[in-house]
Amino acid sequence: MKIIVVGAGQVGSTIVEALHGEHDLTVIDTVRERLEPLAYRYDIVTIEANGASRRAIQQAGTSAADLFIACTSRDEVNLVACSFARAEAPRATIVIRTSNVEYIDLWREGRLDVDFAVSSELETARAVARSIGMPSARQTDVFADGQVEIVEFEIPVGADRAVVGHPLREARIPEDSRVLARIRGSSLTLPGGADTLAEGDRIVVIGSPSAARTWGALLAPGQGRVEDVVVFGGGQVGAAIARTLSEQGIGVRLIEPRLERAREVAEQLPECRVYNATGIDADFIERERIGRAQAAVFAIREDAMNHYAATLARVHGVQFTIAVVHDTISTDVYELSGVDVTVNPRGVTAEEIVRFAHDPRTQQVAMLEGNRYEVLDITTKPTSEYVGLRFREMPIRGALIGAIVRDGKALFPRSDEVLQAGDRVIVFTERSRVPDVEKVL
Amino acid sequence: MSPERAAARIGGRARVGIDLAGALGLTGTLLAYLSLSALIPTVVAVGYGEPFWPFLAAGAIAGGIGLGLARLGRRSPGTIGFREGYLVVSLTWLLAAMYAGLPYLLSDERQLSQPIDAFFEGMSGFTTTGATVVTDVDALDRSILLWRQLSQWLGGMGIIVLALAVLPRLRIGGRQMFESELPGPEVNQLAERIRDTARRLWLLYIGLTLVLIAALLVVGVVGLDDRLNPFDAIGTALSTMPLGGFATDNRSLEPFAPVTQWIVAAFMALAGVNFAVLYRTFVRRDTTAIRRDEEARLYGVLLLLGSILVFAELVHADLFSGGEAVRQAFFQTTSLMTGTGFAITDYVSWPTLSVMAMIGLMFVGASAGSPTGSVKIVRHLLVARILRRELRQTIHPELVMPIRLNGQAVEERTLRAVLAFVVLYIGTFIVGAALLAVDARFSNVNLGITESIAASAGTLGNVGPGLGFAGPMGSYEPFSDFSKLVMALLMWIGRLEVLPVVVLLTRGYWRV
Repeated sequence: MKIIVVGAGQVGSTIVEALHGEHDLTVIDTVRERLEPLAYRYDIVTIEANGASRRAIQQAGTSAADLFIACTSRDEVNLVACSFARAEAPRATIVIRTSNVEYIDLWREGRLDVDFAVSSELETARAVARSIGMPSARQTDVFADGQVEIVEFEIPVGADRAVVGHPLREARIPEDSRVLARIRGSSLTLPGGADTLAEGDRIVVIGSPSAARTWGALLAPGQGRVEDVVVFGGGQVGAAIARTLSEQGIGVRLIEPRLERAREVAEQLPECRVYNATGIDADFIERERIGRAQAAVFAIREDAMNHYAATLARVHGVQFTIAVVHDTISTDVYELSGVDVTVNPRGVTAEEIVRFAHDPRTQQVAMLEGNRYEVLDITTKPTSEYVGLRFREMPIRGALIGAIVRDGKALFPRSDEVLQAGDRVIVFTERSRVPDVEKVL
Repeated sequence: MSPERAAARIGGRARVGIDLAGALGLTGTLLAYLSLSALIPTVVAVGYGEPFWPFLAAGAIAGGIGLGLARLGRRSPGTIGFREGYLVVSLTWLLAAMYAGLPYLLSDERQLSQPIDAFFEGMSGFTTTGATVVTDVDALDRSILLWRQLSQWLGGMGIIVLALAVLPRLRIGGRQMFESELPGPEVNQLAERIRDTARRLWLLYIGLTLVLIAALLVVGVVGLDDRLNPFDAIGTALSTMPLGGFATDNRSLEPFAPVTQWIVAAFMALAGVNFAVLYRTFVRRDTTAIRRDEEARLYGVLLLLGSILVFAELVHADLFSGGEAVRQAFFQTTSLMTGTGFAITDYVSWPTLSVMAMIGLMFVGASAGSPTGSVKIVRHLLVARILRRELRQTIHPELVMPIRLNGQAVEERTLRAVLAFVVLYIGTFIVGAALLAVDARFSNVNLGITESIAASAGTLGNVGPGLGFAGPMGSYEPFSDFSKLVMALLMWIGRLEVLPVVVLLTRGYWRV
């Protein structure tokens, strides 16, 4: 496979390190000092140029590329590089790294012409959520004004036996939800009553928001609910962590030293309690009983501050600490001083991109909006042959009705429910069957 | 230029910090256009064979003064900024009230022949207060009666908003004047341009008024209400939509049939909702707009709770029963809460708790962005949230808590303005009540503490009726001239929501 990587920073070099043996790699960066070590160590082509220049993209041979990865630290450069690459190689798979959640949303809506978008902030937040013991809800899509959620979960080791290990018809699936798809390895199935879920599977669940939360709790291994996590630092990473955690129903307290930023975060995250404090103020930590928190996450921009704040928090009794690493070397420093988990945003981003490079297809399936499967939101016509049928009577044609919206209310149909004309149905289906589904409904 | 001359120029400039000529000029332009409204009662007077010259003369005088001021404004160098806006808005409303009083003064109507009385009635009209110094409404000429109702209708959605909607380009900075006239802490934009927002608000207002007129006309014509002639139907509609309260009968709406009273009550309740929300509901067919709006929800809840409480009291005291008690309770509660001031019975004699509840709701008011008076529900909502935040921050001093309204964080500056408004409003109310009480002592008017409080609250809140002789079936006529002037100013201050008027009293406003 011919792969082009724009950006030879931490993310870029991690990708090169992982992929150099089996693929032909070309790396573009503006800084020679970043390119040289790569060029000496690995058998790759390096181009010293601006990734946002069309000439550089052409010179790298993009028109013949299979995979194009734009992973500089600047969103704008990545966006421009991707749009040039798309023009050069319409069939290539394009991956963009972005720090802006807005772009991720744009991509999910299908308005950004790339195949995969990765956000360091989001990946970091997921890594943190995983280490706190929550299943990582990889992606949440919302339909019908938030009444219907489609969530992809990874089933972790130690998930609740109520749903894992039994055939689905016997499993105690949370009310108002159903399993749309099961991804095991690289194969995706639309599960029937006889299929079982197992640890390590990824599943796509449709359901009401409360059902989605119940799923989250069922898939959380072991210990009881996490109710109180303190996040230090309200920058991009800190805010993303706080959002991810509170979306999973965890109570989050966030500490941000800049008043303006604290206000911004508080406005964006109504569920979080935001404090305007430094996080190294012992008096404050004592007064707010930070020591009682079940976990503390350190996402301050400077590693030294993270280090000190984490140590201080431990002094005050915090049992479980997670720190974000900006400089690779900090990992060792943190670990030496007793930080339980370290997360390197650039590292997890690179990992995610590499995973995609290894097998683009499964990843896309999981992302729902890729090539093979789609979620449709259709209003049934009175003339549809399905109208008046019970759901269990409907012939299965590679499609599943996950939810219906009737008179503005979302329903999660039981098998003896009858489809009515004018119902809005949310259907999970193979892409090739989209025209069929549209026709019969 | 010699240094002396230069110094003189420097010294000569910095006296007045606002563009006085420009502000007066704009006020004049607005007044001149407003004077055209005298044509409507002129036509009515001709139709009824009543003297029409008072209206023509009033229009001519107002138009003349307006054009004169507008000429003055041509000397102004620049455009009107937000500082001048306060003066323009305040002055326009003051002059409009005087203009509304002119026909009363010029006609040979004895009840309104005193300048203060005419000014009071004019102010009460434009500010949609509905307090009257007339003791015998039935004795008024039809054209005079219609002018009273019309002045309320014109004032309801706002003179400046009207001017923005219909006039060719005004030299107005736009948003700020709009904001200081439209009730409530924040303006709900319906369009990109202020002008289009103003237009849509007025069109909706006109549309709803026409629907109400049609409904009342049908009720009258079909014979459901024998007492309701077309004049009453139109007149009542013109003071219902702006939540005004002037009635075409001495006994307010008492003589009309229950069905008429129900229709009016329903439209009062409707007009108490933010017009931007009504626009989304009726014009954009967004059926959940009212349910989604926190203020509208609270309005509905309070209106319902108030009505239920009054209903329970009425039944308990054996005053009314069944359907009649429901109608009385709902009508009276709605009328006072929205600041309309209609009455279908002399509720002053009702049990204390029910009167207290209604007076309490009078201080709440209806929604911002509606023609209601008083404090407005959204401000109470915000004050409650500010207090809740203060309490939480007492325990957690570092907690950052944005205050939200409909999910959106409200700016701290707006919150400060809300607090300032509430304090100023209460202060003005207390000063007003004290002035009335003291003046009543000196002028031998039979006015107790309760009545002075009610009169101050009723006029400042643009509600209308007070208690005692100024009650719902009574009149403000017995008050002394000084008291009437005080109350006219209270209506003015209340309609413009205190700040635009009070800021004119500060030295800093006039200085550079």
